[in-house]
Amino acid sequence: MQNLIDFLIRFRVFLSFVAFQVLCFFLYVQFVTYPRSVYFTAASNVNGQLLTWENDLYSYLRLSKSNQHLHEENALLRGVSFDHYYQIQRAEIKKNDTVYQQSFRFFPATIISAPVNGRNNYFTINAGTLQGLKKDMGVISSQGVVGVVFKVGRKYSLVKSVLTSDINIDVVVGKKEVRGILKWNGMNPKIGTVTGISTDINVPKWCEVRTQGATGIFPKGILLGKVKAKRRLENQSLWDIDLLFHEDLKNIHYVYVINSLIVDEIKGLQRHIPTETIE
Amino acid sequence: MKGIIRYFFLFLSFLLLQVFLARNIDLGYGFHLFLLPLFIMILPFETPVFILMLLGFLLGIIADSIMNSYGLNASSLVLFAYLRPIVFQTFTPKEGYDVLKKPVLPEMGWTWFVFSYGLLLFIYLVWFFFLEVFSLNEWVLIVRNSFFSFIFSFSVALILQLFFRKQPLA
Repeated sequence: MQNLIDFLIRFRVFLSFVAFQVLCFFLYVQFVTYPRSVYFTAASNVNGQLLTWENDLYSYLRLSKSNQHLHEENALLRGVSFDHYYQIQRAEIKKNDTVYQQSFRFFPATIISAPVNGRNNYFTINAGTLQGLKKDMGVISSQGVVGVVFKVGRKYSLVKSVLTSDINIDVVVGKKEVRGILKWNGMNPKIGTVTGISTDINVPKWCEVRTQGATGIFPKGILLGKVKAKRRLENQSLWDIDLLFHEDLKNIHYVYVINSLIVDEIKGLQRHIPTETIE
Repeated sequence: MKGIIRYFFLFLSFLLLQVFLARNIDLGYGFHLFLLPLFIMILPFETPVFILMLLGFLLGIIADSIMNSYGLNASSLVLFAYLRPIVFQTFTPKEGYDVLKKPVLPEMGWTWFVFSYGLLLFIYLVWFFFLEVFSLNEWVLIVRNSFFSFIFSFSVALILQLFFRKQPLA
């Protein structure tokens, strides 16, 4: 016992150092694993309020630019009618109102904090459970895909942006709609990475990368960016594709959260896929 | 008592500067500005290491909670505080430390400050970016970010030292 006490006294500095590090690690694990705990994150009310004040201050500096963006988007939306609707009765009676069923609803939110410096970047938006946000809803802007809702507070939420290492959004590349997966290597916030495309498929430069819409989180065909360069992965017959984001993620302020009305149905169906058992 | 109030205001101003100013300075290519370690650096010599670590942890966790970096700053600042007495002992001046002096550039001189703060800041940055990436496969990213952030943060720290005048010895 005496030895133990001696040991504790002798290494008290180092032990308290270890204790602090364990506490930090615990907070990290809590952040990553428990979606409901919003303490010590920007989705909590106090920090959300602080970031809102900061955003109010900075937003004066970009009023004219945002106005222009909204103007352009309005012009675009006037020309669009049934783009995000799912057709139930295919090409039979188009006059009937039940022909198209709405599958996505969009509601606006403002980004109040959007860091792009970290390895994994989480944006804060000013909408939460009060507005009906749920985890895993998609977030887009008028220019492209922004990310997926990660943590929902009462008034604020965290968005796991496309600038995280394992965002894994399903995308299609080019006119042939080759399927791939979006990732980010942390080097440059303008450049994303698309993997999972076999090298026997030709991927032309500057062809468009759009969402695939297979999981039902995002509508099909939302523009992400263009192919900037491609390399062969070492020892694998896969392309490592550099994607130039269409959205300037450093200067992004107004977004839309996608409430998908079909995602539950798709998930329910995919649950029935039999998993192969190894015998 | 006067000292405690002074350091409390320094604590707040470093926190606000880091969270609302330094975070928004974005030069790209891994040039990040870290101001928080400078606060731990300039605390008086006789501060016990436990208090240093506690202050580092508090400062880090508040900054983390606003910046969505979940414990990264806290962990790195605790490491910085833990290593500070060890590094200070390594770079002890010939005549030993003067109790009346503070660990700032105008009082301790260029050589001492550059070596001790440089070493501590470098360890801090490597630890920070290693924890953030947490994969040795992406060592290029760790080295690039640590190197560029070191240059940026260290230069700004030297400039900030102008605010700490040499105090006349009473």
